[in-house]
Amino acid sequence: MKTLVLLASLSLLVAAPFFGQIDLPIDELLQPHSMAHQVFMQIRLPRVLLAFLVGGILSLGGLVFQVVFRNPMSTPYTLGVASGATLFTAIAIIVGLGAYSPLFAFVGAMMTVLILFAVASRFGGYDPTALLLVGIALGFFYAAALMVMYALSTLQESYEILRFTMGSLDIVGFGQIGILAAAAALLLLMMRYYKEAFKALLVSYEFAFLQGIHVKKLSYTLLFAVSVAVGAAVSLTGPIGFVGLIIPHMLATLYQQSAEKLLVPSFFYGGVFLVLCDLIARSLADATLPIGVVTSFVGAPFFIYLLLRKRK
Amino acid sequence: MPLHITDYSDEILHNISFGLEAGSHLCILGANGAGKTTLAKVLCGLIDSDAVTIDGKSLRHLHGTARAKAVNYIPSKLEIFDAHMRVEELLALSHFDTALHIGDALERLQITHLQDHPCQTLSSGESQLVLSASALLHSARHTLFDEPTANLDPMRMRTLFHLLADDAVLQSKIVITHNLELAYKLGFDILYLEAGHIRFHGSAERFFAQSQLDTLYHGSVKNLGDHVVVSL
Repeated sequence: MKTLVLLASLSLLVAAPFFGQIDLPIDELLQPHSMAHQVFMQIRLPRVLLAFLVGGILSLGGLVFQVVFRNPMSTPYTLGVASGATLFTAIAIIVGLGAYSPLFAFVGAMMTVLILFAVASRFGGYDPTALLLVGIALGFFYAAALMVMYALSTLQESYEILRFTMGSLDIVGFGQIGILAAAAALLLLMMRYYKEAFKALLVSYEFAFLQGIHVKKLSYTLLFAVSVAVGAAVSLTGPIGFVGLIIPHMLATLYQQSAEKLLVPSFFYGGVFLVLCDLIARSLADATLPIGVVTSFVGAPFFIYLLLRKRK
Repeated sequence: MPLHITDYSDEILHNISFGLEAGSHLCILGANGAGKTTLAKVLCGLIDSDAVTIDGKSLRHLHGTARAKAVNYIPSKLEIFDAHMRVEELLALSHFDTALHIGDALERLQITHLQDHPCQTLSSGESQLVLSASALLHSARHTLFDEPTANLDPMRMRTLFHLLADDAVLQSKIVITHNLELAYKLGFDILYLEAGHIRFHGSAERFFAQSQLDTLYHGSVKNLGDHVVVSL
């Protein structure tokens, strides 16, 4: 089963750039100056790469968050990172700096993380529940602030903000993909470095402590690393929901192995999932559906199915 | 003294001071809610304090592997978040004593057959034995066992008793228990807690004298010479 899924995923990744609204004949593709070649290299390929990297970051981030928070419903957005990014994008659009919105979004995401950690540093020990609640409170605050931005914006600006909140894989060049690839690589390397400690965390906080691990420091390091990578992803694509929730759960069912063995598969299949969703988004409608809508349409029912199956 | 706690107090414990000689062992007894587990958590650092020193160093200033090798705590229940971690993987995480193989530790507790089981499917007794195996592999200089026999059947209890009674196993053992027969047969020094205070600290011989037992247990515990029993 595992091999089958892997083979199907690999062929999907290879095939994905060849699908789209216009057909790209192979013979034309091979000519460096043809239109087909240009479309492939400058639109299709970057898009698939972007989808793969963002999906990977969100999914791996989800797995890490679920372990660090001890909460299966945690996602990389749990701490309000996405709301922070959205609010700052809205601000960028309203003050007429829409061209710099990814930068603003990243600042918004990071500011959220810094506020959270500043609050958390006042907790005595490591307190995931309190951290979660602060994240939720921040989320509400941002949602209210976003409403203010809508109220202040023109129709055109409102539309742009709305598009961002739906998630999109549209705007990309290889420069941005390079940044994301670096963020993804850093996150993966870091998880590799902390693998043993992460494994101890899978047992319990107390157990990890007794093995000599500084649980608070480790947890915050992991949350921070994920938040930076997710912040980078969200700033380019907007919030894309459910990837971080579904993929880790699916893999736990498929692999039946402890979570530290799912770190790399989470990244890989998160990427594959988003490439697939993007393919659906591009193929279904005449106008491309927002990617966030597709992941939610696929993700929410699937998640309920998983829950029901677990309860049996 | 290698392990020392000086004048520790919190909401549950009051003015706790005692020390443990190198290589010696201790049984901690006391009624439910007397503060035994709290005391164990203070001693291993899970409850942070500056009252505990190990080999002359404040526990608070011991970090990483140095702390892990100094003191370990074995809870009465195995709590495990991950649904799929197997026994062998769990044990590998506390495998500090590389001279001892995981297979040997499992054999010592007669649970070799559990090696590939997911930890979450273990019964409470089985997981207690797995935890004890992890104590052997961890091999800290001080190991605190919190009610290690609470869920064991009589045969398994015997296995664990022989392990705890073996002087070659673990440098210094601190055993929290309600099982007076176990404490009696182990013969370790006794620390008796009552409502957060140390009510008795001394040799097993003195503790299990009938007059002493009568003072602490109001006639509900009898020393029959070979055995200590609860008279119901």
